[in-house]
Amino acid sequence: MKDRIEILASGFGGQGVVRLGQIVGTAAVNQGFRVTMLKSHGTEQRGGYVRTQVVLSKEEIDSPLVEDPDFFCSFSSAAYKQFGHMMKDGVVLYDPAMVEIDESKPFRQIAVPAKDMAIEKLGRPIYANIIMLGALSAAACEILDKENMLATMLSIIPKFKDENRNAFEIGYGMVTS
Amino acid sequence: MLAGCNAFAGYPITPATEIAEAMSVNLPRIGGYYMQAEDECAAMHLAIGASLGGMKAMTATSGPGFILYADPYGWAIGCEIPLVVLNSQRVGPVSGITGAPGQGEFYNVRYPTQGGNYETIVLAPNSAQEAMLMTVEAFYLSERFRTPVTILADQLITDGFEDISVPETDEEKKAMGMRFMERKAHPGPEFYPPTDEIDIPPVVLGVGTKALCSDWTPTEEGYDIETVEAQHKHSYRMIYKIRNHKDIISRHETLFLDDEPDIIVVAYGSASRTVKTAVKKAREKGQKIGMIRPISVWPFPDELFQYKAKYLSVELDYDGQMVREVQRAAPGDSEIHFFGKCGELPTVAELHETFDKLLSGEQLSRIGWEREAW
Repeated sequence: MKDRIEILASGFGGQGVVRLGQIVGTAAVNQGFRVTMLKSHGTEQRGGYVRTQVVLSKEEIDSPLVEDPDFFCSFSSAAYKQFGHMMKDGVVLYDPAMVEIDESKPFRQIAVPAKDMAIEKLGRPIYANIIMLGALSAAACEILDKENMLATMLSIIPKFKDENRNAFEIGYGMVTS
Repeated sequence: MLAGCNAFAGYPITPATEIAEAMSVNLPRIGGYYMQAEDECAAMHLAIGASLGGMKAMTATSGPGFILYADPYGWAIGCEIPLVVLNSQRVGPVSGITGAPGQGEFYNVRYPTQGGNYETIVLAPNSAQEAMLMTVEAFYLSERFRTPVTILADQLITDGFEDISVPETDEEKKAMGMRFMERKAHPGPEFYPPTDEIDIPPVVLGVGTKALCSDWTPTEEGYDIETVEAQHKHSYRMIYKIRNHKDIISRHETLFLDDEPDIIVVAYGSASRTVKTAVKKAREKGQKIGMIRPISVWPFPDELFQYKAKYLSVELDYDGQMVREVQRAAPGDSEIHFFGKCGELPTVAELHETFDKLLSGEQLSRIGWEREAW
């Protein structure tokens, strides 16, 4: 494993970007990693630009900044355009309902139709970020333990446990290594 | 709460609201008090009132709230009231950007109120772990120096998320370097002695010692007097109790200063995190670069800047604030440079580009909005 894993998620306020970062960060702490998570956002609770940057390491982390993402969860075209250029050999997970990708890029890009699946399978788009979390968990399965991620998510989101568990599994199943 | 804080008064503001939220949940569980004020000015006054009542009090805000603390902050300095104030810097001026870090209040925390004739104590942590340690230290210093102590944080520290180790036993607290000081009450009647001594207990109301405190120039007993001589005595105390015991306050982190580095990068708070990574990686490339990170930023640690080198102050502001102190403190013939960015941390890549330029003797300044010459 690399000595430093960088995870970036970005989209609009209300999509659960910060929550996703918080769950990943907490799961990593539970797994014994040193963790930093930064969030950047505007004043509005919904609609504004949001970014979360998570860094995991077995050692103390100096720079908490994501400059070479191993995983980038893109929830909007704006986010993809703004941060896609940072990608070198990481993986992009994007929601095709919201993000138009540049297919000429050399790095791996995985479509995670989180919003559509959330509406189709669970009846509400609100579960899209947990579907994305499941997909991220699968993409990062060599680093982050699936059961720990699921348990951490359920401990952080106290409501709608069955729906969130289903959302996580749907997302997990979308990514094959 | 580790330091014995049992009163918190606040008014919500990004990115300090989480502190008030946590205190509102946790303080009542240990018999403490949380007070939600109608505005920041009231919050600071309430915190002062709690401290005057013998409690260990704290408040937390961000820049737009911190300027509203100005009047009560002066009361706390003048009446020598122990208190911990956290200012989490976001991007300014005024409301600026809420969810992004800045370092625009470097001088604001040195001069948090009008009138002059005082020194302030300011601690600037660069991580969640250090924020915990420095908050405990702030309570300790506020009791010993009988003055408000400001913790100068920023959005990435109070709004971010990191793993921390919380000590559980006295041994663990000691091993982490935590220091503690119980609240005592001044027996009176000379509440305001004209001396630079520390460890003089503060005025506490309601403990049978009588008590006086006023915003006017006081006599040694605390009566209003407004004479030049009394004011001189009082100012001497407010300035020299801190200046003459700076060694108790001073703390810093340095890296790679032993081999006459060509560049010494200076940074505090969250900006120092990427600086540290950039400096370590530059060393791996063979570049002779060192780092000075003041943790106690006021009084400014002049004594750290004795080296002859090119100094580069990296700050989360565009106007260049700490760089002025570096220029003042460094040897007279030093080259002083500034790298400013606000709302985001400088990246390691940007810092390496800057180091390369400085090492090859290039000028850093660009004309235009991106980076005007400082």
